[in-house]
Amino acid sequence: MRSLVLFVSLLIGLAGSAQALVTDLSSRRIEIRYSFNGAELILFGAVGATSINTLRDEYDVVIVVRGPEEPAIVRRKERVGGIWVNSDAMRFPSAPGYYAVAASRSLEEIASPVAFASYGIGFKNLPLVADSGTGRGLTVPPPEFRDALFRLRTGEGLYRQELDTVAIVDEGLFRTDVHLPANVPIGEFIVETFVFQKGSMKARHRINMHVDKEGFERAAYTFAHEWPFFYGLVAVFVALGAGWLAGIMGKK
Amino acid sequence: MPLYLPIAELSMNIFIVIGMGAIVGFLSGIFGVGGGFLMTPLLIFAGVPPTVAVATQSNQITAASVSGALAHWRRQGVDVKMGIVLIAGGAVGAFVGAQVFTYLRLTGQVDLMIAIAYVLFLGVVGGLMLWESLRAIMWQRRGYVPPRKPREDRHKAWIHALPFKMRFRKSHLYISALLPLAVGFFVGFLSAIMGVGGGFVMIPAMIYLLGMRTNVVVGTSLFQIIFVTALTTIFHSVNTQTVDIFLALLLLPGAVIGAQIGARIGLRLKAEQLRALLALMVLLVGVKMGLGLVVEPDELYSVAEVTSFEGAQ
Repeated sequence: MRSLVLFVSLLIGLAGSAQALVTDLSSRRIEIRYSFNGAELILFGAVGATSINTLRDEYDVVIVVRGPEEPAIVRRKERVGGIWVNSDAMRFPSAPGYYAVAASRSLEEIASPVAFASYGIGFKNLPLVADSGTGRGLTVPPPEFRDALFRLRTGEGLYRQELDTVAIVDEGLFRTDVHLPANVPIGEFIVETFVFQKGSMKARHRINMHVDKEGFERAAYTFAHEWPFFYGLVAVFVALGAGWLAGIMGKK
Repeated sequence: MPLYLPIAELSMNIFIVIGMGAIVGFLSGIFGVGGGFLMTPLLIFAGVPPTVAVATQSNQITAASVSGALAHWRRQGVDVKMGIVLIAGGAVGAFVGAQVFTYLRLTGQVDLMIAIAYVLFLGVVGGLMLWESLRAIMWQRRGYVPPRKPREDRHKAWIHALPFKMRFRKSHLYISALLPLAVGFFVGFLSAIMGVGGGFVMIPAMIYLLGMRTNVVVGTSLFQIIFVTALTTIFHSVNTQTVDIFLALLLLPGAVIGAQIGARIGLRLKAEQLRALLALMVLLVGVKMGLGLVVEPDELYSVAEVTSFEGAQ
């Protein structure tokens, strides 16, 4: 039902404006509460009547969801005296905390790598820089560290490249699912949709989405980070009280 | 039923968390130990970041030690003066430990240090305990009774030579305050870096090194543990913001109930066999942690969200 309303409002939106492309999410504000275990969103989009005639020509859709950029450190273990120790480290000052690419076909069938590179689509086209911590400033990260970042975050469900497909529902309509794992970072997300035709980009549209801790979870997190001393004090008193209570209950 | 933990920033099944509390509580009830040295590795194996596991465990141990300490207090089983000296040492130790912990967290070596500390202490304590209990079992089979040591021989000559002697009436001791201060410092340090109460080090030290009267040993150690883990909780909160109250509280009910059931079963088993079993368990956890250090990991890389890189310089 909700999706139907979304569809209709999209179509009205399209009719009223001369935009080539309109998209919307089933929810633009994701709230992390106690029961949060990841979120599944639906993204809908409609291609309007412009240079692309959706009735006559085939088209492709590529959707990129990018989470807030935050510093991340990738460390590599090495064997030192028989045990495995973190040795080399590479700091990425602004790596996306979430990055997903969904497409209606495999990327290489849609357009050439050069086209994707020019729009920064795909993890390998992200302009990542790194700091090796040796005081040489920002450098191009060694590929093995970059690959490791991608692999590790993919394992955590934070990077999803070409794991989801965009379904073309009708001539001008398409949809895809956006999977946010439980460990999704909080902050501003950008959802960008590109329409390709015969290998070249015809239209793009961008919307924002917000993920934040809410209610009790937000309060606890803020308290712990803004007033850590009092948080610790409260933790101790709560523990003393709970321990005392548990002792009484246990005896009965 | 998933539950999102706001500080650990992960979603865990609430029943698994309560179950882990119950299992560790049960084991700690059987063996009469605190259980921190089992819970922290278990949390790590379950996917909780080691820093959160250690810091949260300090908070949980405070809660878990209250009722025991109160029971010992009521039956006059706490040497308050000795406890205060141990706490003084423990406070300094916990502070130093928390600083070391914070520094190593920045340089990316904290997981390694936690693992090495566990392997070392579990190996030594488990090994000694196993040897001692196996010897006791052997002696019992042969009907051999070891001669009791006379009371005067409890302390070595160097202990008597230490300055700042204090009288601890309840413990029946007249020894240098430096000794309990040092024991307290060491235990406080371990508490901060390992997420343990430290009873497994403190109780043997109280009996064999300080020579305390055994009926005040457990009460005094619990008394010290409450205060030192409380301080450790505050230090970790201030330094790294890794104390998850909710995780600590969730672990508590299972731990308390498990401990009650465990204690009842523990009474039916023989003390030496119990200690041998505990020693084996301690060694097992140590070996598991040790394997993680020496076996080549499947994934050599790790990623962390750290806002500062200064510590690495």
